[in-house]
Formats: sequence, structure tokens, C-alpha cells
Amino acid sequence: MPNTSSRAFLMSASAALALTAGAVSADTLRIGLASEPTSVDPHYHNLGPNNALARHIFTPLIEQDAQQLLNPGLATEWEAVDDTTWRLTLREGVTFSNGAPFTARDVIYTICRIPLVPDAPSPFTLYTRAIAGLEAEDDHTLIVTTDGPAPLLPNQLATFGIISASVSGAEDEVSFDTDGCTGIGDAPASAEFNDPAFAIGTGPYTLDAYIRGEELRLTRNDNYYGDAPAWEQIVMRPLTNAGARVAALLAGDVQMIENPPTQDIARIEGDGFVISSGLSNRVIYIALDQGDAPTPGIAGDTNPLQDARVREALALAIDREAIQQRLMLGLSEPAGELLPAPMFGTNPDRPAIPYDAERARELLADAGYPDGFQIVLGTPNDRYINDGAISQAVAQMWTQVGVQTEVDAKTFSAFIADRNGFNFSAFLAGWGAGTGEMSSPLGALVATRDPDRSLGGTNFARHSNPDIDDRLVEALQTVDDAERERLLREASAIAMDTFAIVPIHYELTTWALAPGLEYEARADQYTLGFAVTQAD
Amino acid sequence: MSDISITPPVEKAPQKKAISPLRAAMLDFASSPLAMIGLVVMVVMVLAAIFAPWITPQNPYDLSQLSIMDNNLPPGSESFGGQTYWLGTDPQGRDMLSAIIYGLRMSLIVAVTATLCALAIGMAMGITAAYFGGRIDTLIMRVVDLQLSFPAILVALILLAILGKGVDKVIIALVIVQWAYYARTVRGSALVERQRDYIAAARGLGLGHARVMFRHLLPNTLPPLIVVATVQIAQAIALEATLSFLGVGVPVTEPSLGLLIANGYSYLLSGAYWISVYPGVALLVAIVAINLVGDQLRDVLNPRLRR
Repeated sequence: MPNTSSRAFLMSASAALALTAGAVSADTLRIGLASEPTSVDPHYHNLGPNNALARHIFTPLIEQDAQQLLNPGLATEWEAVDDTTWRLTLREGVTFSNGAPFTARDVIYTICRIPLVPDAPSPFTLYTRAIAGLEAEDDHTLIVTTDGPAPLLPNQLATFGIISASVSGAEDEVSFDTDGCTGIGDAPASAEFNDPAFAIGTGPYTLDAYIRGEELRLTRNDNYYGDAPAWEQIVMRPLTNAGARVAALLAGDVQMIENPPTQDIARIEGDGFVISSGLSNRVIYIALDQGDAPTPGIAGDTNPLQDARVREALALAIDREAIQQRLMLGLSEPAGELLPAPMFGTNPDRPAIPYDAERARELLADAGYPDGFQIVLGTPNDRYINDGAISQAVAQMWTQVGVQTEVDAKTFSAFIADRNGFNFSAFLAGWGAGTGEMSSPLGALVATRDPDRSLGGTNFARHSNPDIDDRLVEALQTVDDAERERLLREASAIAMDTFAIVPIHYELTTWALAPGLEYEARADQYTLGFAVTQAD
Repeated sequence: MSDISITPPVEKAPQKKAISPLRAAMLDFASSPLAMIGLVVMVVMVLAAIFAPWITPQNPYDLSQLSIMDNNLPPGSESFGGQTYWLGTDPQGRDMLSAIIYGLRMSLIVAVTATLCALAIGMAMGITAAYFGGRIDTLIMRVVDLQLSFPAILVALILLAILGKGVDKVIIALVIVQWAYYARTVRGSALVERQRDYIAAARGLGLGHARVMFRHLLPNTLPPLIVVATVQIAQAIALEATLSFLGVGVPVTEPSLGLLIANGYSYLLSGAYWISVYPGVALLVAIVAINLVGDQLRDVLNPRLRR
């Protein structure tokens, strides 16, 4: 008798074990995040982790698929009536998670509220600035006018989720005005969205609990208009230490993690776990200061980096394939532009920049530096995949062609402070194209610094070339897709031919999942729990 | 009376055979085989560090000698150039054996320089405090108390956050963290010595303060200082390794032992153990060897522990 009961106990215990070891209970998905969202407010901080979380709760007017191509969201159709007028048809029969119907009023309210978010570290005004007028023809038709041709409007409308006007305290009539909307009441502070009663959207999930630093719990929204996702609950836990994240996955504490470290991927796959990886829209590049002579980090009164031959030499001296194979273990794609083909505005025939140390030495000699020079390469060491190690490898390669390189590696916040103070002659950084097309990296990194035109905001190399600027500005006002793409391709080709900036590679984004789960890698690097499916 | 006798006055009767005090101390030291092993290991490590450029197969600080194609190779692998990496390579393609010897060199340079500077400053402060007493003593010793009430690692981290990175900055931080220990030790033994007749005699002769302090008082306070300095060198090595591990120490292109351990830390799970483990072993052996020597020195030089 004792025997039977202990065997029964053993069997039930092993059955329970089998369930947990399978690690996938049918209704809850646990995710280990590499970095925690800073707020649930979808308009507070234009940052990957925040935007990814917002997609669960708030739907944008236009959705982006895994390759950032545009799909209907809360708007089913959008068309350019003329150069400055767009007509949006909104989806009918959609309700918020609290049961209230979704109408044009919520869209107007959302666009009114975006500039009013207090203390937003990275506001979404970048994407609403072009809008000069909003008029609701009826509850489900919206006319958008812009202050000039705004060909990127659909891409821009895809970047933010729609919030509920009523829950936020708006009046029944909300009307848009660039000088200040009427009927919007007091715009809510970002912290209020951390309360589940306030975080009301039209997305596939609702907020259940938000415990800063511990976990985020989401519950399926039964009022969601789209296909019901597989998971009753999603739990997200910030696990910023990469080792801890891998350990949590292997132990079955979570079923999905972001960014498993490259060196651990072989082992994770060997244990039967699933790796999903795909090309991202993020380019890792080196910027070379062309603004001042002398420049910090290079001895002497001259700035050799103002000579395009020197920049070409530094670009050719980098062995991108070695970095891809030895440091990234295949999780990168050597780059020849600032955005991978076939994304919008890229030159598909342009190969990655080749490795040619001989030619690099010749170019340096031609430019008057046969013995090279000394340079300091600034780099973050905790922001991009293997960033510190890549910089050290570049330092090796530059030193081997005669440019004695010292690496100044620091944590990202300290790095940003130094970079924004123009303290680096050369620095390594990354750029993710939020809109998924070429005007984003060109406008931010290569266009002449010009706050009035919102161009060159991250151009800390201070490169300036009117040939690029003119094409870019024209492209930004061209609604015709083919013509705009031609202009962007030309601008990109000029930037690459003059080595305005030195791309290294595009990051592959990687997720690791428990056996039996599937996730399509996304170019925008978002981790979307509702897109995780069980393979059968 | 000799100015520079280094043994303190001993109550016990001197040994029958007349041997010099220095020789007696050496014999005493040699009585512990463990300490002798420590001493031998220490000497070997110091020699290796001094002659690193001539005995290592590669200069790991010269970026033109490194190749990323040789990175993360396990111990015993051969490079494309036919060179054998006995302890493997790190993520940058550095030969671990060369990197460890150079790392040891870096660790020892930083620790020894910092200890000597701290010793000089601490000694001067401690002697001054003990010799003059009164307000000067109070002032110096309160500063010492204040300094010792903060954990060393915390003070060093704050200093480096302010000073920035670099070998010289690490040395400055270590000196500031450590001088107080010496000041306290010197003051303690100088207070005792100050009461003795030979100091009164020296003063009676009309010698200047500086001469009495440094020629008469100081030599007789040296034994405990030697012990403290030995232990503090080991402490300095450990502290420098900690700072470098945390990424605020030496530059990434000139790794010390602590930075080498940090470089390999993220590879431990994936099986490339050699990047972290071997520098860790080197660090451990160095610190244990120095501590063994320090312990035995304390036993030899402290009259109360005399058997």
C-alpha cells in the first residue's frame, strides 16, 4: 500500500515536472526583456522597449509588419487627395477595452495630446509636426492636411498608438488647431498610464499590473477587433543581465528572451531551444569628425579626416567579414549603406564596403600620411551588440594600416555626453531607422546640421554636402513614391562615395524561445508577445 | 647608539651566538616553508613582470600584433602564423599567456607605485602627528579617521568617476585610499618610541626636528610599516583588479588582470572558460603569495609573537 501511493505520487510528480519542463503552459507567455520600458504611456518616450509594449495595449492607425511594410490598423485605407491632403478611412465597429466605441474624436485627441506630454525625453512630435489640420468628415473619416508635401505621413502615423479621449478627460467636441486644440481638458501625465484603469486602448491586450523593475502583466483583451492572440496572459520581466536572461530561459522561468548573447547561441540551440533572428533596420557606423581643425583625439593642427581619401582609407581598412564571423558569430550583415536592401531608398546593387588594407595604405600615403597618425576612437560598451569588442577590433585593423588607434570605451550615458559635446574625432554608434526608409538615417546622420529644418540632428561628424542635402529635402517633399525613392538612392550613393560616414554592419536581432514556439524576427526589433505562436 | 638599527629593543636575552639582527630575522623567516614558497612565487612573478617584453611570445598592447581571426581559441591552439597559444586567446585575439604576464606587470606597477607613494605620504603624516602631538596630531588623525570610515572601494569609485580613466588616475585613487593606514600605523609606534631616552638624548644634543624625526624616530618605526606595506600591496592589487573589472580602471587596450577577467566573464557560460579563469588564477596566486610573505614578516618582526 505505501508502495502504490508513493508510486502514484511519483507519477503525478513526474507528470507535473513534464508540464513545467515543457515550459509552455498553454495560456501564459513569460518574456525576459533586455531593457525595461520607461512608461506605459505610448507617447512619452520614442524608444524601442516602450513602443513594443505600447503595441500590446494601443493600436496605431497604420501597422507595420515584420519588414516595416505598412498594413491597415485602426485606419483601413489612406490616400493622398492632393500634395497636402490625406483622407483616412477609420475601421468601424472597433471598441476600446472598456467597451467605448472608437471614433475620429480619439484620433484627433491623440494627435492633440502628443505635444503636451510633460517632460517627454524623446517626444513623438517628430511624427506629428507636419500635420497642419485635422477634420472629421464623420465618425469614421478623417481629413489630414499638412503644411507641405508630407510623403512620409503614413509611416509617421504608424509610430504611435491611439488613446481614448473620454478616459483621458476630453470633452465631447475635440477640435484640432496647431496653436492649441480645444475641448481636450487637462492632458494626463505619463505616470497615470501606469494605472490599469487608465491605460485603455484598442490593442490585443490590457494592462493588468505594472511593477517597476519587477514585472509587467498583460491580459487578453476580449474586445480586440483582430484575431485573438494565443496567450491568455503575457508576463514581461526585465532581466537586463544577459547571463541571467539565458539562465532564466534554460531553467524554464521564461519562455522567450530578447538578445541572447552571441557566444551563448550555439549552446541554447544545442539544448533544443528555438533561435529566431533577422536583419534589423539598425546600422552600426563610425562617424569621423569633419567639422574642426584641429580635432580632439588627433595630435597636430590639421584634421586629416576632412580629406575624403583618409576617410576612404579608414573605411577600407575595416575587415567587415572578420567582424561578422569572429565577433558577431554570423549575427550581422556587412554594410555598404545606412539601411539594408531592399528597404525603401537603398541601392540594391551596392555591395558592402570591401576590405583592402593595401589600398588603404596607398590612400593614406597619397593624402600625405605615409606613417599614419594617432586617433582616439570613442565607443559605448553596453548599448549595441558587442559594441566595445567591435571598436577594439576596428582599432586593431586601423593600427595595422598605420593609424595608431586608442579606444575610449564607456557606458552609453557617459558616451552620449561626450559625443554631444563633440569630444570625439571618431566614434562608433548605431542608428535604427524608425520609419524603415532611407530619409531617416540620411536626415539624422549625414545631412548638414540645421535645427530649423530638423536635419542633421545626430550628425556629430559635422559632414556637410549640399548635393546630399538638396536631394534629401526634395525627396521629403515628393509624394510620388518612385521619384522619392530615386532621389533617396542618389543621396545615399553620394554619401557613400564620399565616405561621409563609415557603415560597418547591420545588426541581426535575435530572440530565443522555448522549444515549440515561433516568432518572426522584426526589423524594428520590437518584442511582441501576441505575435508568438506555438508550432504544431 | 646606531641610528639605523631595524630591530626594536627586545626584552629577551640575546641569543648566545652573536649573529647580526638582520641575519636572525632572515633565519626566522626561513623557518616557515609556506612563506618560503610564497617568497619564491613572488620573486618569479616580479621577474616575469619586469622581463615581460623579452619572455612573452606577443605584445598584447600592440594592436598591430593582434588578429581578430585568432580570437577565442582554446588553450593549445595554433595561430595562422604557426604560433601556439598555450593558454588560448581572448575575444580580441590576444595570446592569454602574454596578456596575463603583461596584465601582471600592469597590476604590479600600479600596486607597487601606489603603495610606495601612499607609504611615503602616510609615513610623513604619521610621524609628524606623533612627534608634535597636540593640535597637529588631532587634525591629522581626524582626517585619517574620516578616511578610514569609508569603504576603500567606494572612495576609489567616486574618485575615478571624478578623475576619469587611465593608469595614472588609478594610482592616484589607490594612494588616496591607502595613505591613512600607514599614517595610523606609524603614529602608533612613533608615539611609543618618542618617550624613549635616545630621542630625549637626540633632542638634548640640539638636533633639529626634521633630523630627529627622520633619522632617529623613523627607522625605529619601520618594522610594523614593512608588514603593513606588504599586506597593502596585495590589497592594492585586489582593489585595482576590482576597479578594472568594473570598467573604471585601466584602458581596454592595455588590460590588467582584473580587466582580463572582466573580458572573459560573459564567455563563462558558453564554455570559453580560459579567458577568465587563467587571469583569475594568476591574480589569486599573486595575492596569496604576497600575503604569505607578509604574514611571516609580521611574525618575525613582531617581538610579541617571538617564540
